[in-house]
Amino acid sequence: MAFDLSRRTRARRKLPDSPDNVRTPTWRGHRWSLVDLRLTPYLMISPFFLLFFVFGLFPLAFTGWISLHDWQMLQGEQRFVGLGNYADLLRDKHFRNAVANTTAMLMLATVPTLLAALGLAALLDRGLRGRMFWRTSVLVPNIVSVVAVGLVFSQLFGRDYGVVNAVLDWVGIGRVDWATHRLTGYLVVAVMIMWRWTGYNALVYLAAMQSVPRDQVEAAVIDGASTWRVFWSIIVPSIRPTIIFTVIASTIAGLQLFAEPRLFGGGTLGGDDRQLQTITMYLYEKGFELFDAGYAAAVSWMVFLLTLLCAAMNFSFVRRLASSE
Amino acid sequence: MSARRRGRGRWAVVVVALLAAGCATGGGRGEITITVATFGDFGYQQLFREYEAQHPGVRLQPRISEFDPHHKSLVTQLAAGKGAADVVAVEEGYMPQLRQSFDKFVNLADLGARDLQSRYVSWKWEQGLADSGKVVMGLGTDMGSLAMCYRKDYFQAAGLPTDRTQVAKLWPTWEQYERTADRFAQAKPDVKFADSSASIYTAMLNQSEEGYFARADDSFIGDRNSNLKRAFDTAARLGTKGQTARVSPFTQPWTVAIQQGSFATMPCPAWMLTLVKNAGGDQNRGKWDVTTVPEGGGNQGGSFLTVPRQGQHTREAYDVAAFLTAPEQEKRIFLDTGSLPSEPSIYQDPGVVGKTDDYFSGAPVGKLFASAADGLHPSYRGLRDSVVRPIFGAALGRAESGAQPPQEAFMQAVTEAKTALK
Amino acid sequence: MGLPHATISRPTRAGSRWWVYFALVAVVLVSLYPLYWSIVVSTADSTAVARGTPMLIPGENLWDNVVSVFEKVEFGAALRNSFVVGAVVAFANVVLSSLAGFAFARLRFRGRGPLFLVVLSTTMVPAQLGVVPLFMLVVALGWYGDLRSVIVPGLMNAFSVFWMRQACEESVPQELVDAARVDGCSLWRVYWHVALPGLRPQLGVLAMLSFMVSWNDFFWPLIVLDPQNSPTVQVVVSQLAGGYFTDYSLMITGATLGVLPMIALFAVLARRLVNGIMSGAPRGR
Repeated sequence: MAFDLSRRTRARRKLPDSPDNVRTPTWRGHRWSLVDLRLTPYLMISPFFLLFFVFGLFPLAFTGWISLHDWQMLQGEQRFVGLGNYADLLRDKHFRNAVANTTAMLMLATVPTLLAALGLAALLDRGLRGRMFWRTSVLVPNIVSVVAVGLVFSQLFGRDYGVVNAVLDWVGIGRVDWATHRLTGYLVVAVMIMWRWTGYNALVYLAAMQSVPRDQVEAAVIDGASTWRVFWSIIVPSIRPTIIFTVIASTIAGLQLFAEPRLFGGGTLGGDDRQLQTITMYLYEKGFELFDAGYAAAVSWMVFLLTLLCAAMNFSFVRRLASSE
Repeated sequence: MSARRRGRGRWAVVVVALLAAGCATGGGRGEITITVATFGDFGYQQLFREYEAQHPGVRLQPRISEFDPHHKSLVTQLAAGKGAADVVAVEEGYMPQLRQSFDKFVNLADLGARDLQSRYVSWKWEQGLADSGKVVMGLGTDMGSLAMCYRKDYFQAAGLPTDRTQVAKLWPTWEQYERTADRFAQAKPDVKFADSSASIYTAMLNQSEEGYFARADDSFIGDRNSNLKRAFDTAARLGTKGQTARVSPFTQPWTVAIQQGSFATMPCPAWMLTLVKNAGGDQNRGKWDVTTVPEGGGNQGGSFLTVPRQGQHTREAYDVAAFLTAPEQEKRIFLDTGSLPSEPSIYQDPGVVGKTDDYFSGAPVGKLFASAADGLHPSYRGLRDSVVRPIFGAALGRAESGAQPPQEAFMQAVTEAKTALK
Repeated sequence: MGLPHATISRPTRAGSRWWVYFALVAVVLVSLYPLYWSIVVSTADSTAVARGTPMLIPGENLWDNVVSVFEKVEFGAALRNSFVVGAVVAFANVVLSSLAGFAFARLRFRGRGPLFLVVLSTTMVPAQLGVVPLFMLVVALGWYGDLRSVIVPGLMNAFSVFWMRQACEESVPQELVDAARVDGCSLWRVYWHVALPGLRPQLGVLAMLSFMVSWNDFFWPLIVLDPQNSPTVQVVVSQLAGGYFTDYSLMITGATLGVLPMIALFAVLARRLVNGIMSGAPRGR
């Protein structure tokens, strides 16, 4: 179970499921209590499922239905086109461009973010003075909204009046037109993501590291292993489930990238060459600027498939990587 | 001490704003509120107050947003059947697209708008019609007669003439404008000659009879319209030679560039003057001047006031629109902001023709813009102009930034446009 | 609360080595600099920004900028909207998720396993998947531009249910639940008297996280809230970046003002939040 990162859950014994194990109590109002016992659990979970059906499952299924049609947001359903939208999508250069951009930004952001978070967690895991101060400080960027991050970093990396270019100019490297070029644009978006998420992931890793059994570590130290070696061959493999969780969570979040490149790239197109347009921006352009609901729905489904694919790939890749030690 | 009290006063404003936001809607006491949505400042504040004074029971509420969000949310609001203002300004470039949804707008002819036809120059009136003339969709506000703004001080520094009649003689054609750019670049390399390729391209395109679509049958001609190609090439050349500041109007970098004085010329439709003033501020007063644009006039922009059908008080909304576009008001707006009225009785009015603008070194803006107005022939806009325009805009941007050779960018735009139109 | 305090003594227990602190100080500086820069720019006038030299010292224009943010866009209304949405969403998430989480963790009923699997699998579905029909649904319900369109779909969140189940397993002993039932408590009373008190710390974290996620959400409000009528703070702030409002310091002031309530909340609840995240609290974007 990918999301089960709690070691305590596994440690604690769950009681068996079967109703027979319930202690036979001497309840007052036996009949009412039976109704309570049988019905209440369903009542308790019903709000979730009710909302899930209306705002989760229905849109999901309906997206698939819409994607098989020529369907305009304003004029409604036009006609059934089968897989026509998907066929167009596979030939669509702008879609491929958006997928490539998203993947590139995703990789450029996720890998350094998680590596930095691992390092930061290792630092935070030392017996530090002012432990809480450091932990809260590194979490601050995470509470800043993506919109604010997008705006502020767009200015910091501005071509003519950005602080970063002023510094680069001063040290003699010269100004960089960050948003115009693909690679530099990716880099800036990656920096935004990294700034916002490194601290958060470090705390998640830190929590996992603290439950690595102490005797293992001590035994390794007695055997003369270096700190570096202890970190990579004992601590990292032990927190593997957590790493898998963060990789998958970052990937899903990365596939939904929208605000940062939109604000930095100057609009839904992500620049004159669509150099920073992500899949979600493309979905927005098709669905909510051009109002082509059918096509946008097809994009949605491709995003879903991509998400599953990425999750599966991540899962197997990280598992292999972490166990290869 | 006084600074502190001032600070407290400001806080009070913020708090009051917060509270007011909570109870602003409604109005109460049988009062009706008519919202008027514009993109940018149309110079209506004072007129609103007067209208409210003349019409007790009517409150006018401005809603100002910027160009793109304004039009995009209008489209969504029309689709959702909810949220549109009672009176909505629509820019001329968006009219063809919205004309297709004319049923979502009140036919102003039903409310007596045909009586107002005589106010307008004929092409402006026709631009506001839909459904082959059966529907009056919008009442014209201003029009965008073209001129050229230039920085006198930079021209002097570059050894070029500074007097506006002399400057006009520098560029009877766009080729000569280009040659002036070369001269300027040699003499004053630290300042760009134009703001962006896009400005030059748009101006040139607006001067030609047709743009992306044929006037005869609305077919796509972007691939073979020589005027369009010439505009693209000229504009792209300026960009690739590094003679543009690469900032386009309606963006923050453009504003900063005006403040800093990063470029020396730009095509100025009448309404642009306000933008330049707002961006430049007092420290740039008197540095700019205005003269004629190469190859004569053209219309760029200008707007209409429409009344979406979904509104609660369409009758009252129409009255407001008619009031705001009436000659008396249009004249005051012109004298106030420089937005050129689309009504001959006004742009031939001596008070209008005689207007000069101190900010622009006393340029006779009335004469410059109004004299061109009579001979204006607006460029034809296809029904799907707004689909194609951004594609060519992006291509020009790629050429300007050097991301792609101009010819390649143009060819790609043609291909993309054809795909998008399919 | 479930934070493990048994910090493992690392081989380098002499962690007070100077370079560790040096590295941490560097990280903190990088984390805080953009915020400091935003504050400096919020206090400057626009020409100072345009001068192009990095500013380090705050200017004197803060009040002017704040006032014009409130005047130029509907910032007051946006703040109010974001508060309303955030508060309702946080409250609903706390109540509904703890109910469902409690049921999944501590009650036995037919289909519990498969149903929980459904909850889990929904966490894998990207939020964008349903936007097209959701938008149509919102329009059909007449909720376009109405706060209901952002509140109702946000009432429930699979991550919250998942975390609440886990929290119940940690903090609500099965023995207590059973004992209460033996005493004749109905399941609702068990929830109220046993589960809720046990979950209190986690519920606080969940409320704050839900409020934050809702406050910071941008994509969905941008689609269903009319940017001209009743948007949230994020939508309004993003508008400040556009062409009509051509003032850098104004834009950054708006962004800063939009972050301020989060900072205030964080200042009060930082410790709890850190502990919550370290015990597995979900953090959506």
